[in-house]
Amino acid sequence: MIELPDLVAGGLAAGTLSALALGGGLLRLRRQQTRQRAEISALRTQLDGSLRAFTAEVEHLAARRVPAAAQRVAHPHLAVPGPLQPLTVGTPLGIALENVLLALQAEVASQRTRVDAAAQAGMRGATREIQAALYRLQDALRRLQQRYDEPELAQTLFQLDHENEQSLRRAQVAAVVCGAWVGLAREESHLVDAVTGGQARLAGYQRVKVHNHLEPGTALVSHAVEPVAIIVAELLDNALRHSAPDTDVVVSLEHVHHGVCVTVDDAGLGMTRDERDRAQRLVAGDAPILLTDLGDPPRMGLAAIGRLTRQFDLGVDVSSASPYGGVRAVLRVDSHLLSRLDPADRPPAPSAPRTTRRSGPAAPAPTHAYGTQDAVPDAPRHHTPTDENGNGDGEGDGNGNDGLPQRRRRRTRPAPAAVPEASAPPASSRPARRPEEAAAALGALQSGTAAARSGAEAAPAAGAPTATAHDTDHTHDEGGAAR
Amino acid sequence: MTARPAGRPLVPAYLSTGGVARPSRPHLERLSVLARTEERVPPGLPAAELALLDALEGGSLAVVEAAALLGLPVSALCVLAAGLADRELIHTRAPIPPADRFDPDLLKRVADGLRALKHA
Repeated sequence: MIELPDLVAGGLAAGTLSALALGGGLLRLRRQQTRQRAEISALRTQLDGSLRAFTAEVEHLAARRVPAAAQRVAHPHLAVPGPLQPLTVGTPLGIALENVLLALQAEVASQRTRVDAAAQAGMRGATREIQAALYRLQDALRRLQQRYDEPELAQTLFQLDHENEQSLRRAQVAAVVCGAWVGLAREESHLVDAVTGGQARLAGYQRVKVHNHLEPGTALVSHAVEPVAIIVAELLDNALRHSAPDTDVVVSLEHVHHGVCVTVDDAGLGMTRDERDRAQRLVAGDAPILLTDLGDPPRMGLAAIGRLTRQFDLGVDVSSASPYGGVRAVLRVDSHLLSRLDPADRPPAPSAPRTTRRSGPAAPAPTHAYGTQDAVPDAPRHHTPTDENGNGDGEGDGNGNDGLPQRRRRRTRPAPAAVPEASAPPASSRPARRPEEAAAALGALQSGTAAARSGAEAAPAAGAPTATAHDTDHTHDEGGAAR
Repeated sequence: MTARPAGRPLVPAYLSTGGVARPSRPHLERLSVLARTEERVPPGLPAAELALLDALEGGSLAVVEAAALLGLPVSALCVLAAGLADRELIHTRAPIPPADRFDPDLLKRVADGLRALKHA
């Protein structure tokens, strides 16, 4: 037996030990490796999954969300669909995708305004040329009208002039929508002339009935004349277009506290609530106008009104319904756009409707000639009916309102004659209060003041005062409602 | 006379007659004379006809004068005047025809004859 040296034995033992240790390590390592491999494959599948999800999300973005977001720029009522996985909302990915959409929308919007501005500039240039040419044509036609009075020729000239006015209106409105100036400088003119001039620019102007209730001499400052004519023409065009051809469109001109109102009523279809809201938005002129928003064929009238109201500080309201069933459009011209012209010096156009207002009592100083001329026949007219008591409907000219007070007076006069003592006090309009009523009124007053004095101390005790207080409240409410 | 503004008129002429240029009576001429009658003005006349009646308040006018006064073409004024004449609110009178001038040849021959008589 070979004696192994200790060293060798030690070495063997160490070797065995280390082999065992290594084997164990190897084993552990291998186990770890398999675990890691499983982990890696799990991670890989997860990565694949999320990559697929991401791709799907981007595809969804490209296929659905981007077009929707781009369309939404033009049609704000469209909804942009959310991400495919609702969970991505709020994650960095979700935020990044939202930013893509926002940047896209901003860019589309700016491109849209740029393209529209270019289109508007092109159209503005073209319509300005057309407008100038049509004005020259108008001059020529009017010269011919002055020169030739043979009826057949004159008829043709009138028709041509009317056609020309209509084309002019179209060109002018298109130019105004595209941001151009109204294209014509006018001098200070009567307001009724501007309204009648607007009326003349339409087909079917015979259906328009203008009632002029303005003071004689009410005029527009020069820069407001053409805008008012355009706005009135467009409002009338809408009214004529949307009402039956056998109905009238009624225009009335009236003074209001802040200026003058031109009210256009039609007896047509009326508008639905949505249409009315849209129309009101357009005429308010707050939002910038894009040609692409006006439809095909473009409906320019309201948009032009919107431009003009904003530029010239006019007010247009189309939000109310007309008592005739259609639409009521109101144009308000504020006092700073109004001026006065002496109607004796510069009368309104002969075709402009006369004012229904007699310039007798309320006539201001400037209208001397008309005021005195009218005031002199007016004064006897007031007296003659009461003196003669006979011919009620005398001069059928404009004094239909003179007949009414006279009748009333004649009817009230016999009544006091029958009861002489009641008519003795001068304030005979309300002497007929009976004693019981007077007592009740005074009692109510007394209990009312008593209730106010007693204040909060006797709430349950004072039944009657609270009742009266309630009554007064009630009447207040009614007054409010009536107003 | 009224001073018409020099600018482009705001209200076109065809509006005064509602677009009609053929008068209901054909004999009106530029120099026909229009004058008010005693007839009372009925209510509801168009504004332009009222304006013409107002213009005639001061006395009679020729068609062309009234047209200038109202700033309307003669053709439109003829329509208005014919309408008013139909309602017997105005008289119309044809223009006075210019007196016939004598034939200068005849005059010359008469003068020659007289001269011949004198010298004879």
